Amino acid sequence: MAQAPTTPTLEQNPLREWLILPRSPDPSAMVIFGASGDLTARKLMPALYNLALNRYLPSGFTVVGAAVTPWSDEDFRKNMLDAVTKYSRTQPVDHQVWSSFAEGLFYLPMSFDDGEAYARLGACLEKIDRERGTGGNRVFYLATLPDFFPVIIKQIGAAKLHLESQRGTTAGAWSRVIVEKPFGHDLPSARELNDVLHTVFREPEVYRIDHYLGKETVQNTFVFRFANGIFEPIWNRRYVDHVQITVAEDIGIERRGAYYEKAGALRDIVQNHLMQLLSITAMEPPVNFDAETVRDEKVKVLKSIRPVLEQDVVRGQYGPGWVAGQPVKGYREEEHVAPDSIVETYVAMRLFVDNWRWAETPFYLRTGKRLPSRASEIAIQFKSAPHLPFQKTAVVGLTPNVLVMRIQPHEGTSLKIAAKIPGPVMRMRTVNMDFFYGSSFLIESPDAYERLILDCMLGDPTLFAREDEVERAWGLVDQIEAMWAKQPPPRFPNYAAGTWGPEEADALIERDGRRWRRP
Amino acid sequence: MSEFTSAGVVDVHAIEEELAQVRWKQRREGEGDAAEHAAAEARANVLNLIAVVESERDVDQVSRVLDGLAVHHPSRTLMLLAQPDRSALKLEAKVTTQTQQDGPRVINSERVFLHAHGRVARHLASLVTPLLIPDLPVMLWWPRRPDFETELFRELADLCDRLVVDTDDGFETADLFRLLDVARRRHARCAVGDFTWARLMPWRHLTAQFFDVAAHRERLAHIRGVSVVSGEGRPMQCRLLAGWIRSRMRKVGLEVPWDLRQDPALESGISQFMIYTAGPDQPARFSIIRQRGNRLSTEVRIGDQEQVGRTVRVQPRKAEDLLAIELTLPGHDILYEEALAAAAED
Repeated sequence: MAQAPTTPTLEQNPLREWLILPRSPDPSAMVIFGASGDLTARKLMPALYNLALNRYLPSGFTVVGAAVTPWSDEDFRKNMLDAVTKYSRTQPVDHQVWSSFAEGLFYLPMSFDDGEAYARLGACLEKIDRERGTGGNRVFYLATLPDFFPVIIKQIGAAKLHLESQRGTTAGAWSRVIVEKPFGHDLPSARELNDVLHTVFREPEVYRIDHYLGKETVQNTFVFRFANGIFEPIWNRRYVDHVQITVAEDIGIERRGAYYEKAGALRDIVQNHLMQLLSITAMEPPVNFDAETVRDEKVKVLKSIRPVLEQDVVRGQYGPGWVAGQPVKGYREEEHVAPDSIVETYVAMRLFVDNWRWAETPFYLRTGKRLPSRASEIAIQFKSAPHLPFQKTAVVGLTPNVLVMRIQPHEGTSLKIAAKIPGPVMRMRTVNMDFFYGSSFLIESPDAYERLILDCMLGDPTLFAREDEVERAWGLVDQIEAMWAKQPPPRFPNYAAGTWGPEEADALIERDGRRWRRP
Repeated sequence: MSEFTSAGVVDVHAIEEELAQVRWKQRREGEGDAAEHAAAEARANVLNLIAVVESERDVDQVSRVLDGLAVHHPSRTLMLLAQPDRSALKLEAKVTTQTQQDGPRVINSERVFLHAHGRVARHLASLVTPLLIPDLPVMLWWPRRPDFETELFRELADLCDRLVVDTDDGFETADLFRLLDVARRRHARCAVGDFTWARLMPWRHLTAQFFDVAAHRERLAHIRGVSVVSGEGRPMQCRLLAGWIRSRMRKVGLEVPWDLRQDPALESGISQFMIYTAGPDQPARFSIIRQRGNRLSTEVRIGDQEQVGRTVRVQPRKAEDLLAIELTLPGHDILYEEALAAAAED
């Protein structure tokens, strides 16, 4: 075969050009701290397996599981296969692909505060670099209880596992760290954790995960707003009456009583998921989709939130009730929950984003456990038509236009419009124009963790929370907590499981002449 | 189902009227206004789809594929059977409805089947045009190799936005030029899609992945050639894959020689694909090998060192899946057209 006449320098992969499929990341090793835990089994390993199955992982990709549980490599592989068999979205497990993937699974039993264990981990990673060609690239995944985060970060720093120069590997190798939520429990602790992180990692190497941002429907909100010319001109105070953002769960706290007693709905959902949905809904169009540009715009929204007044926040806690035909316990009867607990399982609030686009347009946010159904959605309610030239009888029951972006379940978008009922008389009713993800695309949506892990490996932090974003969100939560601390203890429980929250939440929105949607 | 038969001209207006009424006729006797309303529920058609079959034998098979598409790609579907060599001058038209269950929803769609005998078969396009829904893209699916020289092909290609073929089904190298001609003529309105190209996606993806790694990319700059080994049949697959590499590497100023080899002992289709590079230090070979059970494995050998490989699953795709992919692609696939041009070379 003939030799090419010249040898160009290939900065970009010419075979990647125009290929719709995403590029694959550099070969790397992922260290999962907390590898014997629930998150690894339910989410991380199924996500990694599905990435392998769909050809997104590079050759040589390796996972080193690290946890206290005294497992061997073989135990780890067996347990992870069990986890994938149980929790993977794709079934049955493809054993040939699994075998190929499992060759890159290793396990190191360790105590997270044991400095020597990190030296062993470093030696293990160097061996993997040599044998599997991972090139010194590292992802450190903190999937432990949050209390261990600072310890692990400091030990990584002390053992210099993050430093390319200390590893003697190929130039250009990178290290990244993924930090699970909750990121702190208030503003000071979040700042403290950020400080610890920054002693070891630079901010662009820190990936604070909020799995909501990995959901296809949340990403579609960007597309819906910024790839359609017709919505943005009416996406403002002039046309929007108000916005309702709901994250409703029908489940209780399951076995997370100990965690939930410290967290509550405000820290567990409002600080992260609801703030993310709010900022994506209210943000200005970014000039491009670079991580910093998008996150700058989101932070601007958080900065614009008006301090919350006492009457604009309602908290609740579920008592016993019925959900989906089953009797369920009240929160105070749950395992590891104090019988006189005043931890909130429901929060509703009215916020204002003080900028030119949204001034005086209320954003109603709510989240709760043991509500009648599971539903996450963003609903934009538009102002009514300024004048209806029809008889009053013709427009009975007509509601204003509502655009609903459903995040889960029944993912999709729906627009309520008025339509004439066929017949000789002028009568109208509200009808829905629906777009359902499930029936419009043949492709099964990947799990949020698949997208986010892949983004981290590719070095794209757009869908991860930045330092200032997290701190701004904690600032709001801390303000509400401080307000609650001054109030007399709430009379909990104040809503029955299986209902849409306390009456005070209805009053919160009804005093503005509006109602909560039934999602 | 309504049928119209004519020696000469079928009344297009009768077909249009039938299409308009077909939903209402699904209402069962005795059902009231609510049922009528539900039956007439607006269904947004997203495209016009024309399928051309060669003989009566193909009608059932193609109908099944179209049935499978109805839920996700509601469309005005026209199935054409043109038999100009038959002596009788006759045109038959049938309007049928199909009912599909999608979870709790019942989805109805309508299809027009036009069967032309004799001279009129050459001019079926003239009957097709008035039956298309305005302002929606027109997809032309030709499941077998079309006769590029006929008036029917030329006229249908002229009115469609996308022609979908399967070059694995009876195409020869010269046909690749003809396809390219369709894509590049007349202000390039008609894009071309190809099931074979869609089937090659996993091969292309794995190949590109080799060179996402910077160290391997350096080797790609020293590419010496590619080799495609296949069983008998499906020669266009091999050409398109090699053509894709050649066209991409030309963009960076490198010519890639290819070696296309057939081994009758192997199963039909591509069995192995190898890229050979020289330098910068030692020769390397990047291979993708088809394994049993719909899997592909990758191998990288640098000098005499074998690197860690992997095995991935490749889901075989049915015709309706391949067609569904094509229906979602907007406009011209430049990558395909450039690969096609390179594949058509000697």
